[in-house]
Amino acid sequence: MDRNDLMKLFRKIAAEIEPKDYGQVTEADVITDLGIDSLGLAELVGALEQELEIRIPEEQLAGVRTVKQLFELVEQGLELKGAHP
Amino acid sequence: MFRESRTLVEALERIPRRPGRGLRFVSAEGLERFYTYEEVWQEALRRAAHLTAHGLRRGDRLALVIPEGHEFVLAFLGATVAGIVPVPIFPSATFKRIEGYADIVSHIVEAAGSRVLLTMERMKPQMEMVSGRATCLERLLLTETAFDGAGPAFERPPIDPETVCFLQFTSGSTARPRGVMVTHANLVANARACLGPHGLNINDEDVTVSWLPLYHDMGLGFVFSAILGDLPAVFLPTASFGRTPRIWLEALQKYRGTITYAPNFAYQLVTKRLREKDLAGLDLRHVRVAGCGAEPIRARALLDFAKRLGPTGFDGGKVLLPCYGMAESTLAITFHELGSPIVLDRVDADAMKLGDARPASADTIRALDLVSCGKPFPGHELAIVNEYREPLDDRKVGEIAVCGPSVTKGYYNSATTAESWKDGWLYTGDLGYTVNGNLFVCGRIKDLIIINGANHYPQDIEWAVADIDKVRRGNVVAFGLAGDRTEELIVVAEGHSADASGLRTAITRRISEEYGLQPRHVSIVPVGTLPRTSSGKVQRRKTKQMFENGELSEHQ
Repeated sequence: MDRNDLMKLFRKIAAEIEPKDYGQVTEADVITDLGIDSLGLAELVGALEQELEIRIPEEQLAGVRTVKQLFELVEQGLELKGAHP
Repeated sequence: MFRESRTLVEALERIPRRPGRGLRFVSAEGLERFYTYEEVWQEALRRAAHLTAHGLRRGDRLALVIPEGHEFVLAFLGATVAGIVPVPIFPSATFKRIEGYADIVSHIVEAAGSRVLLTMERMKPQMEMVSGRATCLERLLLTETAFDGAGPAFERPPIDPETVCFLQFTSGSTARPRGVMVTHANLVANARACLGPHGLNINDEDVTVSWLPLYHDMGLGFVFSAILGDLPAVFLPTASFGRTPRIWLEALQKYRGTITYAPNFAYQLVTKRLREKDLAGLDLRHVRVAGCGAEPIRARALLDFAKRLGPTGFDGGKVLLPCYGMAESTLAITFHELGSPIVLDRVDADAMKLGDARPASADTIRALDLVSCGKPFPGHELAIVNEYREPLDDRKVGEIAVCGPSVTKGYYNSATTAESWKDGWLYTGDLGYTVNGNLFVCGRIKDLIIINGANHYPQDIEWAVADIDKVRRGNVVAFGLAGDRTEELIVVAEGHSADASGLRTAITRRISEEYGLQPRHVSIVPVGTLPRTSSGKVQRRKTKQMFENGELSEHQ
């Protein structure tokens, strides 16, 4: 899964949680600026985990600010899954 | 013997070692750790010895920032056995600025006067930032290394029921963090009342299941009730519930949980997120108590949940158990009557504004449905009082005051205790009324904002945005408004028309990154608009009133 696919998935999930257009969202955007509260963000992480069958440990989300940082964690999760399928 | 325990430590020592009983912690990965009560006791003793060897003494406050449930609980109990006072602090900075999180933790550490903070390896970088900020903090200990090997020689100190067992901080407060002093006597009295015939009326088949945060009074309540009730208890990670709420229901099924609790928002969240296929195969007939507390209860949320879960055998008419309480009274003070349908009261919303909880009639224009939180526990009293603290009659709205053995002695080292405690009574700052002894909670005098079960002081939010460019401290007001589903946050700040749009964005961003909250509205009003006292202080309540009445003209 490349970054484009990941962005598509991210936008789709975000729109299910807080319906609006995320077409303009870029990797540089700060996640908490997207208008989703902390419950919604937890849901978003849960949905990414479920969709991609990965785990994102809670403590790694400390200080995560941008969409890009979240994507990097997702990629780490995918790599781990690849290593231990 | 066990039933007569006067402290948490006595109870833990005397708890009958019945097979299969103990504390079970499920990790985010689904890994289970089970400790029998004998193992819990031995581990608490071992940790008490280590903590003492680390130089901690009876009465010292030990800050706990521990993300793993089992590590947190064992450290908490170890400290308690040694007479050390644990100070639970929330261990997560998910999607938050680390600096803001470190500030909040340091304020709590400072207010508690903790010389030592116990954390885990993975939180070390953040806690080192706390070390740099909290001047009283001398040492960081890690659970991974602090308890290595058999405990050194250790003599257990006697624990008096009137000594403080732990400090419960009521919010991640920046402006004025306040730690409630909960004594062993408070804790034992409250747990007993909760477990007893006028509360949960526990039996030998009961199993408790909780995903509630352990740094919070309701989550900790599950630890205390397990120990004082000799119950098997299952703990799930809070974050896992947030990501996948159905794990709560799955755990209730898997462990045959009979007793669980959650704030109002969690019932809504499950109803919203649960899918048809999640319901298939779910059997919740054995759930005996689904309690609700920690934030205002909305009838709709509970009834929707019961309806949605109907196919699982969840019997909403019998098991939903609204209650009322607060950290200042250890935990709960009133419980709805077990096994009976929730009690609703439909009142006239306009009369209510004038302090009259008048039943709605055919002429009522706007009606409100309120949920009864039940009656006070035996040995406890509740009164509704007016502004002079004189008792009011049934159906008159006033401040809720409570008294009894669960009521704590006040905040640690804080001059604000005298505002709320007088002659054994705790004046809660919550508004309510009674009907035939049943308590209905309908609002708040104090300026607390409660969203998704978490308490936020408006001062903290105002403080957090005060250093944004073009915002001046003292020129911003935050308050909560009752929304349809949950409370909503409104922020009003003074500013110039040309800056309005930028300010709205900056304020929203700051609140979101510090508190994980999305303000429903950020209003930028012309300089000089906010109502002030004669001494120049902004009037929060008056601002809220003006906002509600549409009297604030704001910049677009």
